[in-house]
Amino acid sequence: MGSGASGHRSAIAPAIRVPRVRFEPIDLGRWAIWSATALLFAVLPLVFHKGFAITLLSQMGVMIVFALAYNMIFGQGGMLSFGHAVYSGLGAFFAIHALNWVGEGRLWLPVSLIPLVGGVFGAVFGVLFGYVTTKKAGTPFAMITLGIGELVFAASLMFPGFFGGEGGVSTNRVVGEPFLGITFGPAIEVYYLIAIWCFASMAAMYAFSHTPLGRISNAVRDNPERAEFIGYSAQHVRFLVIVASAFFCGIAGGLSAINFEIVSAENVSTARSGGVLVAAFIGGAGFFFGPILGAVIFIFFAVALSDYTSAWQFYLGAFFVLMVMYAPGGVASLIAMNLRVMRHGLLGRLAGPYGALALATGVLLAGVIALVEMSYQLTLNFASGSQLRLFGMDVDASSWQAWAIAAALVAAGGLAFEAARRRFARTWDAVQALIEAKSHPGATT
Amino acid sequence: MEFFVVSLLNGISYGLLLFMLASGLTLIFSLMGVLNFAHASFYMLGAYFAYQISAWLDAAWPGVGYWIALAAAPLAVGALGAFVERYGLRRVHRWGHVPELLFTFGLAYIVVEIVQIVWGRAAVPYAVPQPLAGSLFTVYSTNFPTYRAFMMLVAGAMLLAIWLVLTRTRIGLVIQASLTHPEMVQALGHNVPRVFMLTFGGGCALAALAGVIGGNAYVTEPSMAAVIVSIVFVVVVVGGMGSLAGAFVASLLIGLMQTFAIGIDWSPLALFERLGMPLGPDAPLYSVWSLKVSQVAPVLPYLLLVLVLVLRPRGLMGTREN
Amino acid sequence: MSEARAGSAPARGASPAAATGDVPALALAGVHKAFGRTEIIRGVDLSIPRGERHAVIGPNGAGKSTLFNLVSGRFRASSGRIELNGQDITADRPYQINRKGLARSFQITNLFPRMSVFENVRCATLWSLGYRYSCWHRLSKLADAAERADDVLQRIGLRHRRDALAGTLTYAEQRALEIGITIAGGAEVILLDEPTAGMSRSESDRAVELIRHVTEGRTLVMVEHDMSVVFGLADRISVLVYGQVLATGTPQQIRANEAVQQAYLGTAVAEADA
Repeated sequence: MGSGASGHRSAIAPAIRVPRVRFEPIDLGRWAIWSATALLFAVLPLVFHKGFAITLLSQMGVMIVFALAYNMIFGQGGMLSFGHAVYSGLGAFFAIHALNWVGEGRLWLPVSLIPLVGGVFGAVFGVLFGYVTTKKAGTPFAMITLGIGELVFAASLMFPGFFGGEGGVSTNRVVGEPFLGITFGPAIEVYYLIAIWCFASMAAMYAFSHTPLGRISNAVRDNPERAEFIGYSAQHVRFLVIVASAFFCGIAGGLSAINFEIVSAENVSTARSGGVLVAAFIGGAGFFFGPILGAVIFIFFAVALSDYTSAWQFYLGAFFVLMVMYAPGGVASLIAMNLRVMRHGLLGRLAGPYGALALATGVLLAGVIALVEMSYQLTLNFASGSQLRLFGMDVDASSWQAWAIAAALVAAGGLAFEAARRRFARTWDAVQALIEAKSHPGATT
Repeated sequence: MEFFVVSLLNGISYGLLLFMLASGLTLIFSLMGVLNFAHASFYMLGAYFAYQISAWLDAAWPGVGYWIALAAAPLAVGALGAFVERYGLRRVHRWGHVPELLFTFGLAYIVVEIVQIVWGRAAVPYAVPQPLAGSLFTVYSTNFPTYRAFMMLVAGAMLLAIWLVLTRTRIGLVIQASLTHPEMVQALGHNVPRVFMLTFGGGCALAALAGVIGGNAYVTEPSMAAVIVSIVFVVVVVGGMGSLAGAFVASLLIGLMQTFAIGIDWSPLALFERLGMPLGPDAPLYSVWSLKVSQVAPVLPYLLLVLVLVLRPRGLMGTREN
Repeated sequence: MSEARAGSAPARGASPAAATGDVPALALAGVHKAFGRTEIIRGVDLSIPRGERHAVIGPNGAGKSTLFNLVSGRFRASSGRIELNGQDITADRPYQINRKGLARSFQITNLFPRMSVFENVRCATLWSLGYRYSCWHRLSKLADAAERADDVLQRIGLRHRRDALAGTLTYAEQRALEIGITIAGGAEVILLDEPTAGMSRSESDRAVELIRHVTEGRTLVMVEHDMSVVFGLADRISVLVYGQVLATGTPQQIRANEAVQQAYLGTAVAEADA
């Protein structure tokens, strides 16, 4: 392009300017990932086609939108909110009332666009509550969001006309005219509706993070003071991000209304707000796809695991606390760290330590689960006697032998875990040192 | 008039209970920058421990259990709190305030589950001890329970103790200094980790004491933590983060506000009737006008929070944040 | 040597602003600042014409950083008036002051550690280029922001570290990036708070050249302890002692000023140049 071109140019009549062409290759990697994701969404229900599985996938889809929307303020914006379910919940209420109006013929709107109603009203409340909550930042902000969440929850019980009181508001999603034969009666049709909205929302939120506002919200997260000194009001940025996040929360709420055909005060409860926080954090707030993983894990605990044990909330809570203490970057960060090791071809070295760790964890976990399940049986399920089914065996929770075995498992597992953990930590550090040496040859540690 | 006096006394006792919780929270927050989401959970543990201790002891020596529990439960919970700080919170401390907050949040989650596993989902019969069960005096026609007076006494004594420790002892001076200049205190070479552990444990013990005396006055059940945690947060924010005096004022304010509100059955409908414009059920916003003050009572603290945030963001007596 | 330095820049003693009778770039009138009962700034009057390079020196604790914080909006003055190009900015928030054309750097490096060097600088260009709170522009397609950022990176010599995370830079590189972020928005008035703090001699010299280069045509106000940097760069110097301006003048005037010598410089410097 250099002298050759200019030499060539001089041969042409000087009046003609050769246009500069910039060659920008299409980002193949990114297109591939998004296409693969779309394909996955389309194909999953064909693989997992039992009714229960479809329901699970649908719930995961809704939760993914909610968790990604939450991460707009949490991982991307640096704001910790304990009351974010107000946006999805209020969006859900408005969406379900709209759906009822469609059913009564008072409103013409395709059922597939109902989530948009949720989104719009979510954004409206984002403006309203966002104005109040962004007056402070950091820890005070977190406390205020808890207060606002409780405010909305308490208010929802005061207006049974709109919020349906204890029983909530129900609806029928098979309303309006079928479009191409789609009535949204069968679960599979609902799944595809959710999958399309989920994919579209994911793409939109991803695009948002690559806009000036998205980037500046990262800056405000990292250094709010510096952001002020480059011309941005941290408060305004946070406010706008909350409104954007509330919009997508509202979409999740609308999808929830369609999926469950019922919305109640529980949708705006602190429990829901805590749930999405747990989901986003467990998945990994520092990565865009982290909350997606987190949503899947959370639904697994809340829906699938809850069928096997009533102690699922304890397990989820314990898992969450362990993540906070030992892996605050979430599952996504663990994956990323291991991918990095794999790229350097050193994953093989960790195989042994991982295996030992897995074995020890398995024993420890078995013991802990036994203790927890037996306690549950005795105190909460005592009506059905002291027998319970544990790992495929019949166990008597009132027998001291069962407790002794469980305690022994915990003790043995605990010791083995500690030993395996230390060995793993040593190997991991060695691997990290090797990687450092490879990337910065000649650098002194 | 009767209503006024009774509500006043009840409101003050409830407010003092709130302050017992808010003060521990403020101390921990001011010294360590940690917002202890699990603070109300330690309150709950205090009540449950007291119930269990008095249940065990009363089997052998009736009537003694409660008094032992009054001292033993806070100590036990305080020790537990110190343990949690040493082996849990301290680990997370190096990652900043958000992970610390998340840790205490997860802790609160787990404590509720463990309480349910050990004591079940129903309320436990944690009762007021016999000597305190009667009524102290009668205001007009309502009895004022002796136990309420006892609560106020304990709360007052606790406040006095805190004040004395903060102003008269060395550790108290260190804590006071840390309320406004935590980094400087560290730089001056005080064994800050130990101070942290003691403060956290002490704050939890205070919360547990509140639980011991509050659990049998109200109800001892797994949801008691969740019910009170957000109100305590509102107290701290309204009072001004880091201000004990502000927390005191806000506790009484909210305690009185809620107690009075619960007893008032007036609704704006009455106002419209007075003005000669009675409203029927199809009037616009009827569902709003028909709300009685007693129905709105649960929401009042949060409305106050919004009001304070909009009009006076630093709180009633706030000085510094974070 | 001082004559040679004065000659290297066009007649700066009489600054162009004074010649055209323009409004000063930065003007402080009767500025006081007290924290509780402690008065840090006890009445500062300062007028800096447009295009001047002005240094503020003084002993530790004199209030230099506080003065910067007042001007840039980090703190609010207890009393007095601060004007930027004739506009009153006494009560303005930092982002408002920045939008009116003033940018500052920090003594303790204040970057966005989790973003790359390029992104750090690009973020600093966004408001001035008019993108504001846009959530409909694709960042990667903003050619003007990318060009401006690359241009700044070129000038501060960090082109080769374009994609490194800001938190992984060396100290000197971070100081350079700090300056880069400050100038990227195209502000007219630049405040640099101890830009060469902690640098070696050679690093300092490079930094001085960089500063001279990037503040060409703009107004520079600088807090510095390194006297060679000060006397090399500044057109005029103000000496701040105990929250008050002891003297303002050209480098020669300041060096010869007895009060300044007593309070701060000491007599050795004056004698060395005599």
